[in-house]
Amino acid sequence: MSPTRPEQQGAHGGVTPGHYYGHGLPYLSIDRYPGKIIALEGTDGVGRSTQIRLLREWLEVQGYGVVETGWTRSPLMAPTIELAKSSNTLNKLTFVLLYACDFADRLEKEIIPALKAGFIVLADRYIYTAIARAGVRGVDSQWIRRLYGFAIAPHLVFYLRIDADALARRVLEAGGMEYWESGMDMKAGDDIYENFRSYQRQLLKEYAAMADEFGFRILEGRKSINVIQEELRRQVGEFLEGSASPRPIATEGL
Amino acid sequence: MFVTEWNSSALVKAATKAGKKKNALTPMTFSLLHATDFADRLLYKIVPPLKAGMIVLADRYAYTAFARDVARGVDREWVRDLYGFAVRPDLSVYFRVPIDVSLDRLLARRVKLKFYEAGLDMGWSSVPTESFRLFQSKVLDEYDRLVDEFGLTVIDAAGSITEQQRAFRELVAPRVERQS
Repeated sequence: MSPTRPEQQGAHGGVTPGHYYGHGLPYLSIDRYPGKIIALEGTDGVGRSTQIRLLREWLEVQGYGVVETGWTRSPLMAPTIELAKSSNTLNKLTFVLLYACDFADRLEKEIIPALKAGFIVLADRYIYTAIARAGVRGVDSQWIRRLYGFAIAPHLVFYLRIDADALARRVLEAGGMEYWESGMDMKAGDDIYENFRSYQRQLLKEYAAMADEFGFRILEGRKSINVIQEELRRQVGEFLEGSASPRPIATEGL
Repeated sequence: MFVTEWNSSALVKAATKAGKKKNALTPMTFSLLHATDFADRLLYKIVPPLKAGMIVLADRYAYTAFARDVARGVDREWVRDLYGFAVRPDLSVYFRVPIDVSLDRLLARRVKLKFYEAGLDMGWSSVPTESFRLFQSKVLDEYDRLVDEFGLTVIDAAGSITEQQRAFRELVAPRVERQS
């Protein structure tokens, strides 16, 4: 394998990490911002949030500034998305567009300012979840990629991979299957277990298809929390050491 | 016949209202929220009457977004791609009016210009009428581009309502007869 600079590892949709995937936001230049985006992707219940929390602690102890951003957490859109999900009026197009709006709000108000200030942005899901869900619902794959042309290619994308059967057991242990996680909006029938498995299987297929395109670093979601976290820290540590910025604030002597 | 207005879907009303109230919308979220509103209306209010053989009168269409969002700095090609799911109208009429006339008309009807309508979110001028002029002149430039690109039919809206309505009916009449 030929040596590559950490900044250029992965395919990232053919785009240099830290740059816009497509047309971007022409009114917002993001060149040479010192921060980094690290995204953790994976389907519902695979253990993303736990890994993010542990990674954040580890980065902060080393003196890095960390900002977390998560799907549907924008103050502008979160109430509308909740309302829309509970009122059963969403169709695949409005579903996709509401998510895009949520992402745009967080991109401009959280992610870009944090990059500018030299923070590490930990993204609990990124645009790939939106692309996977849209794909399963039959939205045109080129259209959705162009739509997210305003997103910034992350510096690292980790994908927590799991199979639908292991996932089903894990989600059941954690409290049960939820309407949207089971793709019940797709109206395949009333058997939530079968729907969950079939929906998640289709989602996993969509994620797998994106792995090469966007340079996913794959982590095995069936391994223990600690083993996954160790691997995550090793790869993130290596990447940050090889990057010119950001530098951690020295904690020695404190 | 069925009438549909811009920005009127119940789905996104809450978010649009909250965002506008706090002046919290960026050009991109402004654009995406309006596209969501349009998608919602397209599926519930535009496509069903079309299938039933009715005439849908749309008070503004995707062209409003093409003009306004691009004036705000959103990429021209991106916003056209965004609306790739829209149905191409059988007839699109653009009521063209000079900025001074539209400003006079708006101010005659109400005391204050709205924040986003005047483009005050762009920060080009803190004087609402001045900001309106700067913003709307960019919007009108974009509309002029759309006339050729999408074959919009132009009606001179500086004239009287009677004149405009006559021109409008002349445009519509032959198309309606052809359908019946």
